[in-house]
Amino acid sequence: MEAGRSPNIEIITNAEIKEISGIAGNFFVKILCYPRYVDAAKCTGCGVCAQYCPVTILDPHNRNLSLKKAIDIQYTQAVPSSYSVNPDYCLFLNKKECKQCTRACQTGAINFDQKPEVSEYHVGSIIMATGFKECDASSIESYGYKDSPNIVTGLEFERISSASGPYTGKILRPSDLKKPQKIAFIQCAGSRTQISGKSYCSSVCCKYAVKDAIVALEHEPDLDITIFFMDMRLYGKGFETFYERARKSGVTFIRSRVSEIKHDKDTEDLAIEYIKEDGTLHHDTFNLIVLPMGLEPHKENYSLAKTAGIKLNTHGFFQTGLFNPLNTIREGIYVAGGCKGPMPLPDSVMQASGAAVCASELLKKSRGTLISEKAFAEEISIDQEDLRIGVFVCNCGKNIGGVVDVVDVKKYAETLPGVVVSTDNIYSCSEDTQVLIKETVINEKLNRVVIAACTPRTHEPLFQTTIREAGLNKCLFEMVNIRDQCSWVHAYEKEEATQKAKDLIRMAVAKAGLIQPLAEPVINIIPKALVIGGGLAGMTAALSLAEQGFECYLIEKTSVLGGNLRNIHYTLDGEDPKLYLNELIDKVSNHNLINVITESEVESVNGFVGNFHTVITKSSGHGTDREELKHGIIILANGAAVYEPDEYLYGKSENVLLQHLLEERIASGQFIPAKEDSVVMIQCVGSRDDNHSYCSSICCSMAIKNALKIKEINPCTNVYVLYRDMRPYGFHEDFYKDARDRGVVFIRYDIKHKPDVTEIDGGVCVTVRDPIINKDVVIDAKILALSTAIIPREDKKLEKALSVPKSAEGFFLESHVQLKPVDSYVDGIYICGMSQFPKPIDESIFQAKAAASQASILLARGYVKSEPIVSFCDTDKCIGCGICEYFCPYNAIKMIRINKKRKAEIVVAACKGCGVCSSYCPARAISMGRFTDEQILAQIKAFGAD
Amino acid sequence: MKNNNRDNKLVGAVMVVGGGITGIQAAMDLSEAGYYVYLIERSSAIGGIMAGLDKTFPTNDCAI
Amino acid sequence: MSNEPKILGFLCNWCCYAAADSAGVARFQYPPNIRVIRVMCTGRIDPVFMLEGFINGADGIFVGG
Repeated sequence: MEAGRSPNIEIITNAEIKEISGIAGNFFVKILCYPRYVDAAKCTGCGVCAQYCPVTILDPHNRNLSLKKAIDIQYTQAVPSSYSVNPDYCLFLNKKECKQCTRACQTGAINFDQKPEVSEYHVGSIIMATGFKECDASSIESYGYKDSPNIVTGLEFERISSASGPYTGKILRPSDLKKPQKIAFIQCAGSRTQISGKSYCSSVCCKYAVKDAIVALEHEPDLDITIFFMDMRLYGKGFETFYERARKSGVTFIRSRVSEIKHDKDTEDLAIEYIKEDGTLHHDTFNLIVLPMGLEPHKENYSLAKTAGIKLNTHGFFQTGLFNPLNTIREGIYVAGGCKGPMPLPDSVMQASGAAVCASELLKKSRGTLISEKAFAEEISIDQEDLRIGVFVCNCGKNIGGVVDVVDVKKYAETLPGVVVSTDNIYSCSEDTQVLIKETVINEKLNRVVIAACTPRTHEPLFQTTIREAGLNKCLFEMVNIRDQCSWVHAYEKEEATQKAKDLIRMAVAKAGLIQPLAEPVINIIPKALVIGGGLAGMTAALSLAEQGFECYLIEKTSVLGGNLRNIHYTLDGEDPKLYLNELIDKVSNHNLINVITESEVESVNGFVGNFHTVITKSSGHGTDREELKHGIIILANGAAVYEPDEYLYGKSENVLLQHLLEERIASGQFIPAKEDSVVMIQCVGSRDDNHSYCSSICCSMAIKNALKIKEINPCTNVYVLYRDMRPYGFHEDFYKDARDRGVVFIRYDIKHKPDVTEIDGGVCVTVRDPIINKDVVIDAKILALSTAIIPREDKKLEKALSVPKSAEGFFLESHVQLKPVDSYVDGIYICGMSQFPKPIDESIFQAKAAASQASILLARGYVKSEPIVSFCDTDKCIGCGICEYFCPYNAIKMIRINKKRKAEIVVAACKGCGVCSSYCPARAISMGRFTDEQILAQIKAFGAD
Repeated sequence: MKNNNRDNKLVGAVMVVGGGITGIQAAMDLSEAGYYVYLIERSSAIGGIMAGLDKTFPTNDCAI
Repeated sequence: MSNEPKILGFLCNWCCYAAADSAGVARFQYPPNIRVIRVMCTGRIDPVFMLEGFINGADGIFVGG
């Protein structure tokens, strides 16, 4: 994880907040830091201390399914990668004797003199991101989690199926470590209950149960997996097809809430009794039961809220508003992620970015005042020099040295052509070795450095910085992986491992002889943004950028700002959408850095990240005007539309209308519910079917909202909601319960038996088969409201101009569903709002803020540097065939004309260095920085030269 | 302590409380946007719940 | 490794090379007869590299991406 490497992030572990004083922009925070008893600067993470530690404890990272030591590291890739002592179990700290670890540690990192310390920090803003936790499974008494080892929670099952987990990825059950044949998942464990858990829906459990089931079947295809559920809540992008995939791969889904699990002490099997929807009673026995537990707030939230002077909601999560989803009541303190409610990963990531941008808006004037960038000495030119390679071989304590004969390898390296010096080091990554490397580079006049140690994926940047500090170009460097891919995996074959290390070093030295210094291409960024779409997301993004001091063009197709938010008249939470919309439009229209252009469309987009040239057309009184805008980034927020169905008499009967029109009629007083009226709502119209495979996420909450509004106006009006699965996720579950309590009737229908609608005098007659009584229910309704799918906007011109890929559903595709939820596949183009997927107001807002955050990072920096691994084209050799342009997955190659001949040109800003162009080039005109044909061929030759 | 004057000038540093994926993302965004970040974590390493997840939707690729 | 076939591996930095690192972290043991060349993407691999590998004595080529 990159956070550990940034010079501007200081990670303070074992720490908690004691006091917050001051005001927004100027907070003073007192932090209490508990000792880890290991000096993180000295610890190399070799793990020898843990081998010697005599105290064995349960490993919380593996959910107590395996063991670890009292001195250990949380998990293998932990940041900081330093061990720490668990003070509850350490013998020395408790009984004043032992200190085995102190004697074992070769770097003297262990320090039992460390004391808890309070320090004060001065910051402009605070972001709370303390997360959530799994509900305690033992609180559901009737499940007997504590008594049976074979009932595991969702997170425990994650560890069981993990390759780095306690059973190295084999699906075994804890009681006898045998493979379970039959596994059951019981949903809503600790959620959606008034009795043994939380009233709200934890949003993620259905999703992760389906994921776990699929993963388990990938491990062991013959498993028999059953998921017991109340509603499968697979809302959100791509999840409905994921659900489908689970069904196809043989997972059985049973709609039933399991009330009790009986534990057989002899077989350790688990028996359950359940009642199906039709009322029939069934029994079944399973070898392993997974409880995908609901999520709850940390208890510490109470004290933290008190210290920070911010509010919690009734459930103990941090309180935020619908229109200010990241703000607390105290200015300058923002909240993000699981500490404000259960949510899936991409939402946490977006809220994190969103909260960051809130802080950035507040602190824009002090941007860049406290950060540092490393300044380097001028690079030494190596043009005329002979090859002088230095090889540094690492012992990594015993990690490499315990298997590979490092001294032998070092001696061997000295014999290789071009090598002038070869050393062996205990820890190559330690601070003193960095000094040694620098001195050796300077004293021995090295012009290439080869380091044989761990993996370049984690340590290359460190060594590159070191040689850069010694005056060498970063690229005059090659790393050999003799730990992760050698000593660790051949621990019992010392000779062969030593030979492998020699071979790998020989190959690296051969490559090193051919490497050349490369400049990091720098692309300047025009510090302006183009936001496409003047709805809630577009306006929010534009306002955020403008508030940070960046100029924005906001273009809107229609004549007014507001988009779909104009159709929302009231909200479940009780906040006024009209008021908010008007305020937002005012702020956006009057901001001196936002240039709002209505009735305009994108005609063409040229250029790339940092330098976009966009032509827009604007209709005016006397025809169409064209204008070219120059800007560095694009935020796509052109929203979504409502699907208009051709079923249920829509368009044929005036009593059948779309859900948002019902809302308008209620809000405007056009429809005043009377005592004798019945209103029927049909959910999933055009959703989760052959029309649109996905769930539109917001329709269930919308129906509940309108149903509650009708009941509020007239409690006697009958409201029926015909649904397939009710999906009011998160805290909206409380409104669902409220609706049921107020007499709204919810009837499930099966997609195979859709409700039947016929016209009658003064309304429509709806017939639906109720699966509980297994009989038809006939309702004469005054109004039938259809909750139809939210569909992507069709805008062929825009799509052609941008070439941003779309998902199968037709919404813009994010570059990583989980971790880069607002980045499109094109660098410098970000997506937010309903153009990415249907979503409620608060999610649109924080996604827009997240897009603004990613965009403002580029705009604030003013340039992009790309890694010098990009391709380059020798135009003399290029025959202009264009095959590279065709195959480039990133649109990073453009065919241009040089002296009337077609030649390939690399768009450095877009190139990712994959090398597809290079391997396809028939003229061998394209090569890759740091991975040239010659270099790779030299490696291959050296491979054979033993 | 970088700056100890208690005047009204805005401080270009942000404290992020919690070293899970949310906290890490916020810290990364802020540091890249030009702010110094203190990332406060209760346990001995950052990573949070996500570090314990095996695979993630939809590609079921590795969580870290 | 005289009795073992010599394997030359081309691994993608972002997936297979990373996976090979993870195998190390997990201490999975496998035969020590593979030599790895890291590339940024398996798309980089020119068929010529494989032929060259065989010419230079590889008994098998492993492409992981």
